[in-house]
Amino acid sequence: MATWLVRRLAASIAIVFAVVTITFFVIHAAPGSPFLPAESQHLTPETLRRLSTEFGLDRSLPEQYLLFLRNVVRGNLGQSFALRRPVADALADAIPNTFTLALAALLIDFALGLALGIYQAVRAGRVGDVVSGNGALLVNSMPVFWLGLVLLLVFGQWLRWAPVGGLSNPVLCPRLDSPACGLDFLWHLTLPALTLGLVGAASTARYQRAAMLEVIRQDFVRTARAKGLRERRVLLVHALRNALLPVITLFGLAFPFLFTGAVLVETVFAWPGMGRLAVNAIFQRDYPVVTGAALLTSAMVVLGNLIADVLYAVADPRIRVRSETA
Amino acid sequence: MPTPRTRLSDRRIATLALAALAWLTACERPVGCTGDYCGTLVIATAGEPDILLPVVSEFSVTRDVADRLFLKLADVGPSGNTSGDEDFQPQLAERWEWDAPTTLVFHLDPRARWQDGQPVTAADVAFTYDAYTDTLVNSPFRPSLRQIAAVTTRDSLTVVFRFRQRYPEMFYDAVYHLRILPAHLLRELPRTQWRSAPFGRAPVGDGPYRFVAWKAGESIEIAADSTFFRGRPHIRRVIWRFTPDQTVAVTQLIAGDADAVEVLVSPDNVQRACAEPQLACYPYKGAAYGYVAFNLAAQGDTSKPHPLFGDRDLRRALVMATDRERLLHNVFGDLAKVPPGPMPQLWWIWDPEIRGLPDDSGQAARLLTRSGWIDSDGDGIRDKDGHPLSFRLLVPTTSAVRRTYARLLQEQFRTAGVDVQIDEVDFSVFTERARTGRFDALIAVWNSDPTPSSGFTQTWTRGGFGRSNYGRYDNPDVDRLVDQAVVSAGSRDQARRAWRAAIETLNRDAPGIMLFATSNVAAFHKRFADVTIRPDSWLAQLATWRVPADRLTDRDRVEH
Repeated sequence: MATWLVRRLAASIAIVFAVVTITFFVIHAAPGSPFLPAESQHLTPETLRRLSTEFGLDRSLPEQYLLFLRNVVRGNLGQSFALRRPVADALADAIPNTFTLALAALLIDFALGLALGIYQAVRAGRVGDVVSGNGALLVNSMPVFWLGLVLLLVFGQWLRWAPVGGLSNPVLCPRLDSPACGLDFLWHLTLPALTLGLVGAASTARYQRAAMLEVIRQDFVRTARAKGLRERRVLLVHALRNALLPVITLFGLAFPFLFTGAVLVETVFAWPGMGRLAVNAIFQRDYPVVTGAALLTSAMVVLGNLIADVLYAVADPRIRVRSETA
Repeated sequence: MPTPRTRLSDRRIATLALAALAWLTACERPVGCTGDYCGTLVIATAGEPDILLPVVSEFSVTRDVADRLFLKLADVGPSGNTSGDEDFQPQLAERWEWDAPTTLVFHLDPRARWQDGQPVTAADVAFTYDAYTDTLVNSPFRPSLRQIAAVTTRDSLTVVFRFRQRYPEMFYDAVYHLRILPAHLLRELPRTQWRSAPFGRAPVGDGPYRFVAWKAGESIEIAADSTFFRGRPHIRRVIWRFTPDQTVAVTQLIAGDADAVEVLVSPDNVQRACAEPQLACYPYKGAAYGYVAFNLAAQGDTSKPHPLFGDRDLRRALVMATDRERLLHNVFGDLAKVPPGPMPQLWWIWDPEIRGLPDDSGQAARLLTRSGWIDSDGDGIRDKDGHPLSFRLLVPTTSAVRRTYARLLQEQFRTAGVDVQIDEVDFSVFTERARTGRFDALIAVWNSDPTPSSGFTQTWTRGGFGRSNYGRYDNPDVDRLVDQAVVSAGSRDQARRAWRAAIETLNRDAPGIMLFATSNVAAFHKRFADVTIRPDSWLAQLATWRVPADRLTDRDRVEH
């Protein structure tokens, strides 16, 4: 297990390195200048040259790349051109927001997805299964930004049950330094997390339904019933554990979806996270922020997959045995 | 049937939920502030300041925040007049006088204090001028100060500005862009580091408001300084909420999450916001104008004329082939006007009587035919010497207005036998190509100062080469007339005549198609009273706005 884990860690680091390298060269190759953020800014050619020198952009690309790697190893992600602050500070502000959003969405995704999948499997072919299955398919077919806009319009603008954007109420909670403001934060989190979580839940439910259907037809489930166990115990203890394996794989796959989905959701709900930060940085050719965001996002996605692999190995001893004998 | 244990759990959950709700609603309980100084203004805005150090940033939202924190020596008055000094209002300077035609002396108000308790002195003013003109700081306002030869101190409260020559807007140049900075807090900071200085994220100013908090990507809050020497502002807290775009900002306004939006921009937003019973709309003159700029120089070699737009008759024909009123109506409805030249409605030289080329497709067609552009192969596109009359129009993807205009122009030109291909590129590519002259034509939009003196010069004279004169328009007559208007005109009327002559000359040359000059509409919650807007700076009169005691809401009363 330890050897396997070390191998997986090494592979994960290699993947992050590859992502960052590709991002670095692609963003530098993209047309456009990082120092022309606004039409109204009148930078003379001399000033542009001076700024290029100041940020090391007058060096060759391989030189810049090596310098970037050296700085990353030292924990220095550079200075943002557009935000005029250290990239690490900007990311440190944004990461907790995206992470919270992704975590809340993940909870909704799996809690709702598992429950719905089990319900559908138990009621397979009945009205409840058909209605909820089509409902899930409908939600799953919606682009995440569109679902966000619909929720925003209905619950934010028309019904006014939820705030239409932002992390918190800036009048009542300029800083999140009280329990009441913590609740205010959760209230603001509701719609963006629901948007992201619902789309994922619809997909999770479909996987869970199929897995459960396969498991509940197997002999050990029949045996459990024959032994006189209550149906709830048969389903939740015996069948569910075995039906969870494909869903654990989904857990790993959910991370990239959550981070890419977060870009759109953060824009719709004015949620100041990594997605908005990265998108703005791309448009402004803010190279240090783009590469910094790529580094962290890829690290988080790879870590998510690693966790999924470990969980998979814990849940299915056969995988451990295979990896150890390989 | 649920078991008793389940029922107990449900009850617990319900109790917890109620407690949480009570906790949350406790936040909203009206407490604290009563009376005339309790207002809270939440502004929804699409955009966030890069840094709150006014010398290095010219983003409009930076200016909105920084102008509440840092004082100028004096500011433009309600009339908007930028000539002479009669209509200016004192801010940091309590009075001023002219020692000589080119020597201006300011006397600072002795009551002025930085918010850390230090007095504001003449040394701060001299330090500020030095910073604004320092190439290491590279202030975007440096070109506006080029006529000021020196700023010196006479004593701790007297500062002297010496100009290179006499001209009508000397006073404006001395005060409009200079936000006085605290020398004692910035002197030790290397000038190359000002653009990322920590001071810029938690500034200490001398204005009517003090900085409270900046939550990156979310909001900035400032609070009224109750000890401000010119009087405490009525609005106690001002908060900017940052949104990804203007539509989200308007949605926040309508949903009650914000109190004000500076510009509603589109007719759709105006309709949405102004129909809300709790909101009031305030129209005011816009500072922006947009146009198609023809590139008069060949791409890659600015010494040669552009193969198409080097031809004055062709440019004139294209201007006349454009039905600008129809385009404007389609894009803006009533929220803009066709400008009589390259100018926003805000400029005092705005005059619908200025002569320009008519929108006349018949005359355009005749001119094109006379110039040899005819459809010889029947494909619907005119051609000459085997070359089709075709060009590419550059627009940024970030501007819905410009993208719409591009498509409408493409269609109008198609009917005139002109093929237009649209290049939609993201903004940094747009500006890079514009600056380096790698385009045939582009749609530009400028947000201008309240006077044409700097904006027009940078965009339409030889002095704008390498800056905002993307199309490299160059007519010595225009340059001379502009110089006459800016520098040597003895009176406002003389300046007006010179401006008019310059613009009519430019219109005849047709270096671009002047498409629109915006009219702005701001929206506010109706509880705000005495709202007046100075078009060049919508929050300039904020100190006089208030929420009457009988209209206070929980938002205004809440203590923090």
